[in-house]
Amino acid sequence: MIISNEMDQLIKDQEGWTRRMFEEGIRIKKLYGLDAVCDFSLGNPDTEPPETLRKALIDMLSSPEVGTHRYMSNNGYEDVRENIAEYLREVHGVPFTAGHIFMTVGCAGGLNVILKSMLNPGDEVIVPTPFFWEFKNYINNFGGIPKFVETKEDFQLDIGNIEAAITKKTKAILINSPNNPTGAVYNEESMKQLASLLNSQREQGQDIYIITDDAYKKLVYDGIRMPNVFQMYDLVLSVTSHSKDLALAGERIGYVAISPNIRDMDLLVSAMTIAIRVLGFVNAPALFQRVAGKFQRTSVSIADYEKKRDTLYAILMEAGFECVKPQGAFYMFPKSPIPDELEFVRTLQQEERIMVVPGRGFGREGYFRIAYCVPMEKIIKAREGFLRAGDRYYRGGK
Amino acid sequence: MPISKSISTLMKNSSWIRAMFEEGEKLKKKHGVENIYDFSLGNPITEPPEALKEELIRIASSDAQGMHRYMTNSGYDNVREEIAQYQKEITGLPYTKDHIVMTVGAAGGLNVVFKSILDPGDEVIVPCPFFVEFMFYIGNHNGVIKLVDTKDDFHLDIDKIGAAINKKTKAILINSPHNPTGVVYNEAELQELIDLLHERSKKGQRIYIVADEAYKKIIYNGTKLPNLPGMYEDTVNVTCHSKDLGLAGERIGYIAMSPRMKNVRSLIDATIFANRILGFINAPAIMQRVVSKFQRSSVDIMEYQKKRDAIYDILVDAGFEVVKPAGAFYIFPKSPIPDDIQFVKTMLQHHILTVPGVGFGKSGYFRLAYCVTMDVIEKSRPYFKEVGELLRNGQK
Repeated sequence: MIISNEMDQLIKDQEGWTRRMFEEGIRIKKLYGLDAVCDFSLGNPDTEPPETLRKALIDMLSSPEVGTHRYMSNNGYEDVRENIAEYLREVHGVPFTAGHIFMTVGCAGGLNVILKSMLNPGDEVIVPTPFFWEFKNYINNFGGIPKFVETKEDFQLDIGNIEAAITKKTKAILINSPNNPTGAVYNEESMKQLASLLNSQREQGQDIYIITDDAYKKLVYDGIRMPNVFQMYDLVLSVTSHSKDLALAGERIGYVAISPNIRDMDLLVSAMTIAIRVLGFVNAPALFQRVAGKFQRTSVSIADYEKKRDTLYAILMEAGFECVKPQGAFYMFPKSPIPDELEFVRTLQQEERIMVVPGRGFGREGYFRIAYCVPMEKIIKAREGFLRAGDRYYRGGK
Repeated sequence: MPISKSISTLMKNSSWIRAMFEEGEKLKKKHGVENIYDFSLGNPITEPPEALKEELIRIASSDAQGMHRYMTNSGYDNVREEIAQYQKEITGLPYTKDHIVMTVGAAGGLNVVFKSILDPGDEVIVPCPFFVEFMFYIGNHNGVIKLVDTKDDFHLDIDKIGAAINKKTKAILINSPHNPTGVVYNEAELQELIDLLHERSKKGQRIYIVADEAYKKIIYNGTKLPNLPGMYEDTVNVTCHSKDLGLAGERIGYIAMSPRMKNVRSLIDATIFANRILGFINAPAIMQRVVSKFQRSSVDIMEYQKKRDAIYDILVDAGFEVVKPAGAFYIFPKSPIPDDIQFVKTMLQHHILTVPGVGFGKSGYFRLAYCVTMDVIEKSRPYFKEVGELLRNGQK
């Protein structure tokens, strides 16, 4: 065979529904026309980067410093890392320095670099479900084993389940809050419980790292604050990207922040320096490192997202769906009216031309994901379709 | 320990690099940066062409929506279309956008290719000396690297390659123009290699040629790079614009899969998928748009050729034995003493920073990267002479 057996299997097994739906969506869009379709399948925000960022980018390019596009050290520009460290010092009240920041090719790149650096074959990583499917691939890339742990009904962490999943092989827990696909923001209380669980493991001699995928950290609503996990637990690695908060998804820019309380920090940074090199990233894209360094305190309009969340949530409630109201990100994860959500999703697509992703694409059957990072008009346009679907399933309508 | 055993082994094995780097930094502090002649890094000082910088501003100023969003994992359609067109021109083969996958540089591209084709234990032949990262790219995906020595002039030793091929051989990874030797493989030796591979394919074993062409445009005296995909159907070209367009820090390159390859679609799908799950997702958006318009451009190659001539002249003048490179911006002279690490340390004391051959799998040599200013090259002349004389006297 032309490709490896392993890859062949991976491709066949892929329940990367997001992409599959994307292709199907293209077909339907061609068939009915773009305007007729409401596509909520992709986490590809329609938002543009802030105007100030676009201006800064033009300015930077118009007065280029010599060497702007050359290689730099593998962890990124020092001044950029210092800017980010300063921002994180403010937010977390923890003494970050440039040395604790490691620039990466987005969050996905950052996670791969961390996992390559940390995992021995057979090491386990706990992942609360439902979850972003790629986490499984990232962990498997390095011979690690994902251990999936159900969250509670409201998608908050179930500390009892996590405790039961810990073994001698547990190296890390990977959490993603605000969460894709549920929009849940893990609350202060559950994070504290997690920290105290892991601290008691440390007392017994087992270091378990908390790896946080913070890709959506600025997209939180209702005036809530993200729990400050750096203040709760020593062994924390936060991975973030500017795909969502600065709408730079295609430019692949993010970073890892390593807790100053990790004693073996130097060792970890050396390992990550090798990992980013040998995995072929080499360094985060130069131009957008400089941009990111200047825009830590900026983000796209959160109020716009909050309005979209409110509008969509109201529509779902009106239609009769069961759904936990999300407090962050731009996803909603309602219960499917019928147990076979795949069937429901297909019907929604064919009858209402509304595209969503089946919950099994996130390890949870019987639910579906709506990505509402689309223009408000699309959400409003989809109302009738959702209402009809609600009628059909909940009130026995046609 | 927070880090994995495999990474910790890699760190130990490369500890001498760090030691040397730190020694160099110390000397720069002591004597001043301008008095140290640093030939250790393949980080070209060349700036991107002016027209490219202007194009970047134009793209950034565009009012079009969605310039920075995700696109399909393989890259923008129109970008791949333009690159396919260029590939068509230089190879005469019917490339379409489907044969092109945009990547995070050549390093990203090679990882994607190896993730796509290697099962655990599969072997990849690599002519030696070699760019040592290849070992990691292959190892990352549980492949086994099989190093095969090249001839004295660093050209392919076909007999040795033949002897290294077995049932597990999945690919041969060639890099021409070559890092660290600057050699460019000629059509005749590549044809011999291909004949060898065809013997295997007749028996049902397909072996890829994976060509790392990061330096393909940096080639001198009108030498032409042989048309590999035209010569061999199972060719995968991996390239980047770090060197030819001076965009190393921006991480932009691509994979081109030969349209003549049987079942090429499954390899295309695998590479797109690998691009995603390895965490690259897609090549940086703005740089994709830029490089699509500059396939036919490059930084000034004559400048590099002049530097090659100057450094070659200096080395020969100082009494070193060296093969004159035909491309890239590296030169790989013989160390006058067998212990190349010792020799590199000696040169350090004479203000010259280089990398020992052992870092490329070949002891007894050292590498100079001459992608520095002409001024640095010219000023280094007396120091090379000094070292040369010292050794000749020592040998008396």
